Amino acid sequence: MKRKVIIFAVMVVVVAGLLIMAKFRENLPGGGARSVAATKGRNAPDFVLTDLQGNNVKLSDLRGKAVVLNFWATWCPPCKQEIPWFVDIQKRYGSQGLQVVGVSMDDGDQKDVARFAAENSINYPILLGKEKVAEQYGGIDYLPTTFYIDRNGVVMDRVFGQPGRDEIEQNVKRAIATRPRS
Amino acid sequence: MKLSSRIYISVALLFCAATALAQGSSPAITVLPIQTPVVARGHKAPLHISLQVNKGFHVNSNKPNDELLMPTVVHLSPPEGIMIMNIQYPDGEQLALPFMGNDKLSVYSGNFAVNAEVRVPAKAALGTFRAHGEVKYQACDNRQCFPPKSVPLEFDVKVVKAAAKRKSTYTASSPHIR
Repeated sequence: MKRKVIIFAVMVVVVAGLLIMAKFRENLPGGGARSVAATKGRNAPDFVLTDLQGNNVKLSDLRGKAVVLNFWATWCPPCKQEIPWFVDIQKRYGSQGLQVVGVSMDDGDQKDVARFAAENSINYPILLGKEKVAEQYGGIDYLPTTFYIDRNGVVMDRVFGQPGRDEIEQNVKRAIATRPRS
Repeated sequence: MKLSSRIYISVALLFCAATALAQGSSPAITVLPIQTPVVARGHKAPLHISLQVNKGFHVNSNKPNDELLMPTVVHLSPPEGIMIMNIQYPDGEQLALPFMGNDKLSVYSGNFAVNAEVRVPAKAALGTFRAHGEVKYQACDNRQCFPPKSVPLEFDVKVVKAAAKRKSTYTASSPHIR
């Protein structure tokens, strides 16, 4: 009898563990098993990446501004859908201290990225992504993935997929509303 | 049925459901078992490669509607002396997604098949030979996309003797042929 109780208890614990794991995964796209807390609430990892003009851009140089860090690729339709929104949001909120930064995760020809940027009148820096930087941000397994970084360089939120313009704008407003530490 | 048995069965069922949930779903293409083409020397035979896209995902078709999108492509490395030709991809399903406005994507979802021809020269060696290949694809769901991936595939090609030619009853000397 005692043995049966132990077996039953073990099975219950295993099932409970699996259910908790399943619940955790519900919050991640594609069934990923990466913790959002890996970066949320912490300082955004600093990096230096090259933009389409060949200039080095260092993330920490943007400290004091609210930053939208958008990982995207030209082969990603939902990413391309967001880009006109980011262009408009940069126009509207740039004067309030917003800086959108795109990080292209294309492996192919840089010319495709440059052509796409020109065709879509992208008014914010597009950086050429590297796997090392993606890993710093917990691995970018899904595109688009967007980080909202406050004026103090702290990651406020990380959003997988294309959430719709309203949600993007709400996150932007929250990021802008932060005050830089003196 | 005893109460304890019922409890065990219930927990086991819950266990299966929880395991399935915990595994989640990944945007993978699965290559279904490929039937071995049996080809007579000097002849050709069809090759059918059946592929399955996991539920909830789609991959670009072989001819996406946008040149920047990555097509699904099957690369095949036939055994030496054997040719695989005329690879045929199905037409993509025209998929409208909420974020696409009026544009549509040309995609494969669920099951689809890529067909080809296996050709064997008249002097090919007899026997069973292993062919290799890969399917390159880039998957998305309704909200996000996943980096390009490839999945390997392999199958056997069986080369057999050609059937002996039947003697024609009509010869050049036949009075009916001029």
